[in-house]
Amino acid sequence: MRERPWPRIGWRNLARNRRRTVLTALGLAVGFFAVVFMIGWVRGITAELVENATSLVSGQIEIHHAEYRPDRSLYDTLGGREGLDVEALLRTIDADEAVTAAAPRVYAGGLVSSGEATSAGMFMGIDPEREPALTRFLDELVAGRLPEPGRFEVLVGDEMARQLGAGVGDELVLVGSAADGSMANDLYTVAGVFRTGLVEFDARTAVLTVGDLQALIYLDPDRIHEIAVATADPAEADAAAARLAAAIDAEGREIDVASWTVLNPVLVDYVGLAESTYWIFIVIIFAIASFGVANTMLMATFERRREFAVMLALGATPRAVVGTVLSEALAIGVLSLAFGSALAFPLMVWWAAAPPSLEWLFGSVTLQGALIEPSLRVGHHPAGWFWAGLGLLLTAFFAALYPAAKAARVPPADTLSGL
Amino acid sequence: MRRRFARILALAAAGGLAAAPAAAQTDPLAIIDRVDRLLRGDSSRGVATMEVVTEHWEREMTMEVWSLGTDYSLVRLRAPRRDAGTATLMAGDDIWNYLPKVDRTIKIPASMMGGAWMGSHFTNDDLVKESRLVDDFDVELAFEGDRDGAAVWEIRLTPKPEAAVVWGRIDFRIRKADSMPLWARYYDEDGELARTMEYSAFAEMGGRLVPGVMDMRPADKPEERTTFRYDELEFDVDLAPSFFSLRTLQRGR
Repeated sequence: MRERPWPRIGWRNLARNRRRTVLTALGLAVGFFAVVFMIGWVRGITAELVENATSLVSGQIEIHHAEYRPDRSLYDTLGGREGLDVEALLRTIDADEAVTAAAPRVYAGGLVSSGEATSAGMFMGIDPEREPALTRFLDELVAGRLPEPGRFEVLVGDEMARQLGAGVGDELVLVGSAADGSMANDLYTVAGVFRTGLVEFDARTAVLTVGDLQALIYLDPDRIHEIAVATADPAEADAAAARLAAAIDAEGREIDVASWTVLNPVLVDYVGLAESTYWIFIVIIFAIASFGVANTMLMATFERRREFAVMLALGATPRAVVGTVLSEALAIGVLSLAFGSALAFPLMVWWAAAPPSLEWLFGSVTLQGALIEPSLRVGHHPAGWFWAGLGLLLTAFFAALYPAAKAARVPPADTLSGL
Repeated sequence: MRRRFARILALAAAGGLAAAPAAAQTDPLAIIDRVDRLLRGDSSRGVATMEVVTEHWEREMTMEVWSLGTDYSLVRLRAPRRDAGTATLMAGDDIWNYLPKVDRTIKIPASMMGGAWMGSHFTNDDLVKESRLVDDFDVELAFEGDRDGAAVWEIRLTPKPEAAVVWGRIDFRIRKADSMPLWARYYDEDGELARTMEYSAFAEMGGRLVPGVMDMRPADKPEERTTFRYDELEFDVDLAPSFFSLRTLQRGR
């Protein structure tokens, strides 16, 4: 079969007015870049959100007694009333390939008082050896250091410290309900002050060592409420949770192993919502670009009316004329894609590797219980790139349909006779 | 204004009660106010035992209780030994706890007023709010007649629009013969029964007929209860408002 000349004519026509071609192609290329960038940025923000929300205080996976959530009763400890061998459980969890850290926790509620002021508090018992590897909120303290076991030391949030007028070295009374029903109370020294940026958490939380909290509320050393587990990537959490559940015989021992997608469904919904906006970017940006292409193609076909008239007079079919114009449009599309890729991918690779901070522009933001340090972090999303590229070519194609139809309907005789 | 009116009414009713206990008295406001004051008098001192039974533990505490009017009371634990000396002072709307182990006094913050008092099924709010039922609630007579063979009043308390109370409704059943309360049922804002307080062991104490035992049961955990029993009770003891001070609270026994 003989090669049809129309695509080549279309391609060559790009050179007819190079400046115009380049400007049109740049319009589409910038549109493509904008889509790729917006998708990448949304992806970066959601990844940041998930990582922050799951690494600040909670882990990517939490292990509780099956009844513990959502009431968080003091009595629903892992292993029930008898508790279990916490060290053995931690060893099993640490052995999983995806797990980067795991730490035991005990929780209780009560009052924290400095004498003059008293506020409602949540007591969190942590292992000072294991916890810093798991969560970020104890990494950089506002003041002081982590509590040491057996020394009656407590770490409080900065908002609680402010409300109580307490600082490092001051004494605080912790009062709560003990597991035997008595009124648990003891005197503790403030060892340090932390800050998560989550005001509610910073105002309510007092952190002790696991052993000290167990002693305060008369809970046996084998009884803990939670093991928090970190995985390197939040995306691995679901698979890791399933493996851990099997490894520790969760079903047989009434243990609930839940990943962040189960613990924080709102976050999952939010990520889903953010991803659904990709389509909106693609449609809006290319809808705008399509008018630019349509305008250019209309101009280009109008000034070539005589040429089309000659083609038609010499026996070319209207379909061939349409083919020529559409070929030209597609050629612009391919050129734009090349420009756009050349613009987008190096920047995306750079920003993914070293996100420029935007803190000077926005300050930090709290969203869905996560503290976001705004940065131009971008995530890669090959499917998004594919759809953006396809969107670009379709835009070029559909924007040229009307000009092509106009070109095919040029009346040869009238046009050539100058009418 | 309304409160003073209620007081005057109640005083008048109380005066009438001494002369003719069975006299027809159908002003529900006065009945409730009288029930309110039943265990307090103008001043009182008593020794009580509180037994708390929950799903997870059982405890018994012995305590000494002083009160003056509806605004002041002081409770100090005598037993068990580990908690002995722990004390609660109520003055107006405020509650302080004294903790002998750490020798500190803690004022209960407003956000914790709904919390359990000494691990019981009573809340801190119960201790201060109960004394002012007629202030916070509209009172109406819901039933008057025979129930289980005894002539009773049933009185319904609904919160006034501006009242900061947690209950959607409280129903009282009161025995007509001697104005003794038989039970109180507390309903939440959805109209669901939340807990029931039963009064029993009516006996003469300190020269007055009082319910010697009060039994609080949460509706959602029928096997749990707090039973409050008076072992001793005397009225019109010599107490000044200055007794109900942080100093007394901390002084201990």
